[in-house]
Amino acid sequence: MLLPKFDYQAPKSLREACAMLEEFGAKAKLLAGGTDLLVNLKKKLLAPQQVVSLNKIKGLNEIIPKKGKGLSIGPLVTATVLAESGLVQEQLTVLAQGAGRVGSPLIRNRATLGGNIVTARPASDLAPPLMVLGAQLILKNKDGEREVEVEKFFKGPGKTSIKSKEILSQIYIPSCEGPCGSAYLKMGARKALEISLVNVAAFLELGPEGSIRQARIALGAVGPTPLRARSAEKILKGEKPQGKGDSLFLEAAQAAARDGRPIDDHRGSADYRRALIEILTARTLMSAYQQLMKTA
Amino acid sequence: MKKMTISLIVNGQEYDLVIPVNRTLTQVLRENLRLTGTKQGCAVGDCGSCTVLLNGLPVNSCLILAVEADGQEITTIEGLADGEKLHPLQQAFVDIGAIQCGFCSPGMLLTSKALLDKNPAPTEREIREAISGNLCRCTGYQKIVEAIASAKADG
Repeated sequence: MLLPKFDYQAPKSLREACAMLEEFGAKAKLLAGGTDLLVNLKKKLLAPQQVVSLNKIKGLNEIIPKKGKGLSIGPLVTATVLAESGLVQEQLTVLAQGAGRVGSPLIRNRATLGGNIVTARPASDLAPPLMVLGAQLILKNKDGEREVEVEKFFKGPGKTSIKSKEILSQIYIPSCEGPCGSAYLKMGARKALEISLVNVAAFLELGPEGSIRQARIALGAVGPTPLRARSAEKILKGEKPQGKGDSLFLEAAQAAARDGRPIDDHRGSADYRRALIEILTARTLMSAYQQLMKTA
Repeated sequence: MKKMTISLIVNGQEYDLVIPVNRTLTQVLRENLRLTGTKQGCAVGDCGSCTVLLNGLPVNSCLILAVEADGQEITTIEGLADGEKLHPLQQAFVDIGAIQCGFCSPGMLLTSKALLDKNPAPTEREIREAISGNLCRCTGYQKIVEAIASAKADG
């Protein structure tokens, strides 16, 4: 399969890249890891005149702790780095777990956090973790930057609120205030190189009195975008789980199954997906709670 | 620009090339450098037969623009053996019978070399996970896993 013809640019700074996007607009596509872009070019789904590589710009692939206030992650950090970083495994467990399920080990060595977010597939492994962690996205253009909450960013399959002249320049994740835990599970027909049938990310944070202060559950591959299981979260907020929390989490999981909006497709039926939402939500909640209790 | 002058360091040797920007690393390795050990299977990063090591990391070369590899160190299957002496992994693959048609083998060998460089004593589970991006239609993977495990024990 051949790549189509295009012109190639390799700006050395974000400012230069923004200036290029200002000039080229929608005629340009940004290149990060290339594991989505090149596939789409080869399959003739995209035909940009300009491919603007971000890979000569320094400083976009760092994970920087922000003095007890959270982490700032560059858009070019690869899935492998996220999956293997001790810092991410410890503080943003759900993101490390999601990153470890992207594609294959070979893909993970190139695929980037920023690229995955902007590509915005409904079954993204990184979007649900970012949603439950309350991530903020910084979008930069030649005139300045703006901040968008990750859940307001996804509009539909492959569609986000990014403008053609903007670059996702930073992903900021706030730190927890109380004991917290998180987990991600992906269900697919294969163990690797698989697009999820269903994926679930869960995040729990305890308040000072020992009840759930914050509960966030995000479901992937069961809607046009990853979505929050709001009725499940309502059941959890303010509650004090008994023992391992089984009965409470099961009740929330049943609500999450109703929050999902799966369709029938060649990977599986909507009914099967609903059943999976319930199982994966219960498991991720229990796992998140277990992690939380270790730090409490 | 439409064509670029790049420098690729492949198996320790530097190659200067003028190539169109829409050429993948697989194409340049196979067609410009005539290093045909790297295979092209699916061309979309799903099979791993195009695996090369880029700065030591195993990657799908079919999804990398050659111009993006400018100045980088690339190891292909041709760079594994030491002259006539096979790499311990290659020897293990031969001894244990991990090669049938051989199409996946260059990718399997490079991926497993990168694994052992990073994790000299992987468990079976870790081995299977590490090669999960390299598909084999012949062997059923069992001998490949055994060969990697045996190379780790000796190598």
